[in-house]
Amino acid sequence: MGAALLAPLAVTACDIDPPARDNGSAEPTPPPPEDSELVAAVVAALVRARSVVEAATLAVPGLTPVLEPVATSHAAHLEVLAGAVADTDVPAPAPPTIAGDRDRALAVVRRSEQRLLREVRRGCVGAASGDLARVLASVAASTAQHGAALADQGPGGEGS
Amino acid sequence: MTVLDALQATLAAEHAAVYTYGVLGARTSQATSPALLETLTAGYRRHRARRDQLRLMVRDAGGDPVAAEVAYDLDGPLLRPAQIARAAADLEAGSVEVLLALVARSSGSVREWALTEATWSAVWQLELGGTAQTWPGAPELDRP
Repeated sequence: MGAALLAPLAVTACDIDPPARDNGSAEPTPPPPEDSELVAAVVAALVRARSVVEAATLAVPGLTPVLEPVATSHAAHLEVLAGAVADTDVPAPAPPTIAGDRDRALAVVRRSEQRLLREVRRGCVGAASGDLARVLASVAASTAQHGAALADQGPGGEGS
Repeated sequence: MTVLDALQATLAAEHAAVYTYGVLGARTSQATSPALLETLTAGYRRHRARRDQLRLMVRDAGGDPVAAEVAYDLDGPLLRPAQIARAAADLEAGSVEVLLALVARSSGSVREWALTEATWSAVWQLELGGTAQTWPGAPELDRP
């Protein structure tokens, strides 16, 4: 899975370029080596979260329109981050088993997104690269938005 | 841009945000739009606290906190509740962008604070009728 995932993503290895860089260079700047482990941890968390969303969608197809925006963001975040470090070891987690109950499936996804948010926040705060920290902050903000949107879909939420 | 520059830029944006929330709240009826007024009031309080915190952070960084303008231009007529909510959501979107710049320029507790505030503003956009985005605060990454 790692090679299959990394192949298309390597094309975007320069996506973490410095939007606010002062030196005027147009050259892409990958994260410094000390951030490689951190990026790998975030990528692993994203892959795990993506597998949970996929499993929930398979278990409860009616959730597809609700979870599609989450899946789209995961894919975009992975595209940028997995391509940012060439030797990122992308894991292949075992697909989780999710019961075919809508509320339970949503609860599993919400917990998974909260776990992802914690990992992304940890990466953002710890990043040596300011540009990488900015990208991770945006990923965290997106993850928090999707989590809030999903909260409205559960028991007692607007979408229930 | 230094950390102090980024803090000052964020503080300047917060002065504008506090002013704008005040205007938007004043144009919102408690009788006809109580939920929107409540949301705006919570936003105003959050930005006011953020502004006050930034003043302290600027001083801690050795700077003299930038002062607020006398007034700020607001786009559009901002008469209907939907227009007011949209203006506040746009304000929060702008806040995320400014705070992400501070994230990039800072480290440690300042970065963590900026991250927390950026996340709050991103989520508050949903309270104001916005939708979840893939790259809040980093529009240059949001491309097909």
